Amino acid sequence: MDNKVAIVGFNMASALDLETTRERLSFDLTRGLFDDLGIERDDVGTFIICTNDFLDGRTISNVFLDPSVGAYMKDESKVEMDGLNALTYACMRILSGQYETALVATLALTGTQVSPYLHIGYTLDASYDRPIKLLNELSAAALEARSYLAKYGYSEELLDDIALQDLANAARNPNQARRLEGVSKDQIAGSAYLYEPLRELHCYPATDGGCMMLLASEKRAKELCDKPVWIKGIGRSTDNYYLGDRDLSGSISASQAAERAMGMAGIKDPRKELDFAEISSLFAHQEPLLAEAMGLLEPGKAAEAYKSGDTAIDGKLPINPSGGPLGGHPICSSGLMRAAEAVLQLRGEAGKNQVEKADVALAHGQDGVCAQQSVVVVLGT
Amino acid sequence: MEETKIVNGAWELSTFHFPIEGRGLKTMLKNMKDKKLVGFKCPQCGMVYMPGPFYCRKCFIRIDDEAEVSDHGEIMTFTIGYADVRGNPLDEPRIAPVVKLDGCDSWIMGVLEGVKPEDVHVGMRVKVKWAEERTGSLQDMQYFLPE
Amino acid sequence: MRNVGIIGIGYTPVFVSKRKEVNIPEMISEAVDAGFQNTGLTPADIDAMVFGNMHTFEGVNLPHLWAAEHIRSLGKPVMRIATGGTTGMAAFHAGYYHVASGMADVVMVVTYEKHSEGDAQVGLMGIITPEVMTMLAAGIDVTGGSGMGAIGGGSAGGISFQASSYLYHSGAGIEHIDEQAALERRNAAKNPYAHLKDPEATAEKIAQTPLVSWPIRFGHICPTTDGATVCILASEEKAAKLADKVAWVLSVANCASDATTANLIESQITDPAEHLPAIIASKQAYERAGIVDPKKEIDYVEIYNGFAHQTLMYLEKIGMCEVGEAHKLQEAGELEMNGRCPVNASGGVVSTNSIGTSALNRVTEAALQVLGQAGEHQVEKDVHTALAHGWGGLMQYVTITILGDKPKKA
Repeated sequence: MDNKVAIVGFNMASALDLETTRERLSFDLTRGLFDDLGIERDDVGTFIICTNDFLDGRTISNVFLDPSVGAYMKDESKVEMDGLNALTYACMRILSGQYETALVATLALTGTQVSPYLHIGYTLDASYDRPIKLLNELSAAALEARSYLAKYGYSEELLDDIALQDLANAARNPNQARRLEGVSKDQIAGSAYLYEPLRELHCYPATDGGCMMLLASEKRAKELCDKPVWIKGIGRSTDNYYLGDRDLSGSISASQAAERAMGMAGIKDPRKELDFAEISSLFAHQEPLLAEAMGLLEPGKAAEAYKSGDTAIDGKLPINPSGGPLGGHPICSSGLMRAAEAVLQLRGEAGKNQVEKADVALAHGQDGVCAQQSVVVVLGT
Repeated sequence: MEETKIVNGAWELSTFHFPIEGRGLKTMLKNMKDKKLVGFKCPQCGMVYMPGPFYCRKCFIRIDDEAEVSDHGEIMTFTIGYADVRGNPLDEPRIAPVVKLDGCDSWIMGVLEGVKPEDVHVGMRVKVKWAEERTGSLQDMQYFLPE
Repeated sequence: MRNVGIIGIGYTPVFVSKRKEVNIPEMISEAVDAGFQNTGLTPADIDAMVFGNMHTFEGVNLPHLWAAEHIRSLGKPVMRIATGGTTGMAAFHAGYYHVASGMADVVMVVTYEKHSEGDAQVGLMGIITPEVMTMLAAGIDVTGGSGMGAIGGGSAGGISFQASSYLYHSGAGIEHIDEQAALERRNAAKNPYAHLKDPEATAEKIAQTPLVSWPIRFGHICPTTDGATVCILASEEKAAKLADKVAWVLSVANCASDATTANLIESQITDPAEHLPAIIASKQAYERAGIVDPKKEIDYVEIYNGFAHQTLMYLEKIGMCEVGEAHKLQEAGELEMNGRCPVNASGGVVSTNSIGTSALNRVTEAALQVLGQAGEHQVEKDVHTALAHGWGGLMQYVTITILGDKPKKA
């Protein structure tokens, strides 16, 4: 899919508590995007909203959002997954030739929920996993972390190194929600265990946020902006539901999704051809785990890579130069924000976190417990 | 066919707190104390909404201009309730109209008194019956009466 | 744009109130299996899947994750679509765009609802819980006795406002709603996948059921059903290899307005009976399918009618007749299975409502008519072109799909 659909603009917000309503957040972000691009809602062909009923505490969570993203009397649909899936759907609608432009609108006020990590609990098997109460998003991630560390004999210190790199990147990124100025390895290693081996600063924080992104066909993209970023490839896949049926030290969904996306983009050697990657690693260990699965890191070489700085902003293959989800993970928006951060890099607008050579990038999003589903998008200038 | 087990579970709404848009409702309630109905008007298309949202659905711009609305209006549609929200039969049928007040483009729901169910019709003119003592509550507007 | 066709359909063996012997993934897998059996395809033939339901009704978030093995989605892209009542058709449209875009060649759309495992009223209330709580704090009378915003319409809610407005604008009477409900329950008796069946249903019988909120009676209202439906879509090239007969998608369209009647915090500006989204979406669908006069060119219609008046109301909105004509067509017998404008030979949603599937069943039932495979409920006239309609949200979404027996010319 060479240069047929482009990201022409986006507007996002992310904070631990945005202190706003869903309607206000979606209106403000969408209006802001329209003003940036100099368009009105009639210039948008189709709208793909991306929210989750269990996160919002609402049945049909898009009911009140259609007007506030400008979709009044327009074509609209809702994807209920990570935002990169909504981007995929918007992309399909443009590729079909039916529409020239599509707005992807993702939104989550995690603060709506009294306790974080709750909505994933509702995905669990209602008749078995839920009543037993052993499994939740954190305990599952802890099992996955142990499994990954044990596979290569890594110590828990690796988690601190990964978190340090991400949180330091996040601290310099004004788009991030958790910005810890001067964060240190001691601070991370000293944060409380949530589920051993995962400490608080190894885990994503509950985050409010939204991201509105406009996609356009080749012709419209060139009219709407100077620096369109092209969608080169998309891949998605699904793994088993039961954790016992999976190898938790790796990720089949991520490797399959990446293989498909890179196949579409014509990328044969990702470590050479990709300039950086934005990965939805919700917990520190998931960053190398998913990167290995996607062929971005050599298996078993994660500890060296993080120690030597290969994954840092000035490294061989920077991973999460934005800081990634450890800096903020507004559910539904998170994957789309990875793409948005990649767009900033590809346009050379990533400020203090700018990667030197940024022409081809990978963005990853996930759904379910321990990335049961993955979606990978390859972007390029 | 093997015996099936039923496991109880719940989606607890008590685990949520909801931020809700409140300006339109607040403005309306505050003015109802003085028997006034106040909505918001779009400066571009002139649409008047009550309770007023903070943006216009059609023009997709912010709106901040208040606009007074009449307490007389027209029935756009109605229903006659025979059961309550839980499905229990009511002692007396109850007329619930949706009314478009003069000077307002949006509609409000309410209760209609002073007319028999068989005499209600779409297009009927009605007026608000205000409560004697008003407290800034939705109860200040007690019901509609035929004009 | 690539041509897309329906090459297979799968239903659960029954659509009933309570499927106690199977759990959610097991029930879904019955429909998936049926889809494979009916087509001779295997999971290896499927490139991607689309999944939809209203998950707050059963209290399981993202059930496509739980059902991954049961829907044979391992290693496949799965997209979850949810838009309320229109979910089934919104998922179908997503499947359509998967193929039309060239991103996939064969896509399986899976939808279900297992109402018996949850509470539909709680699920529906969940749409506006925060608004109602706010209104309560502002003095709303929850018993509907007095004051502004009083919950009118009782359990039938805003629907009775819509029905009342429809009657006023069309000149139809409550007896036409009774007859429409009876007609569709009679049709349902001929459909093995319908829930409420009554071969002896009459308007008089329906008229004896209690009024819930005028003009809506108990007999006008859909049941809550357990059931699942799958639909397999393919590109023109693949369809030629995989299927003998294909129902071609001529166009899809959809439109969203603001939430009608229940938007208690920010007022409503859309007339639920005018239903502008239905007018916009159907016009768009006709234009895309190259249909100039739907009255002449559409042979069969499946309307999403959770409430019986909606069959008549939407026939007018989508231009199958003029305003005020639908009930006259009914009086003349034209809406029956042997009529000139047959509608809902399946029995419609008023006879069967497993909500996630309901809008998809409109498409699959329209496809069966186009394919001539509807069996006992096949309509008398030849069906070359059929329209499927869905509505959802707070009466604010409308989806339209037009099918034909020949692929669209490029």
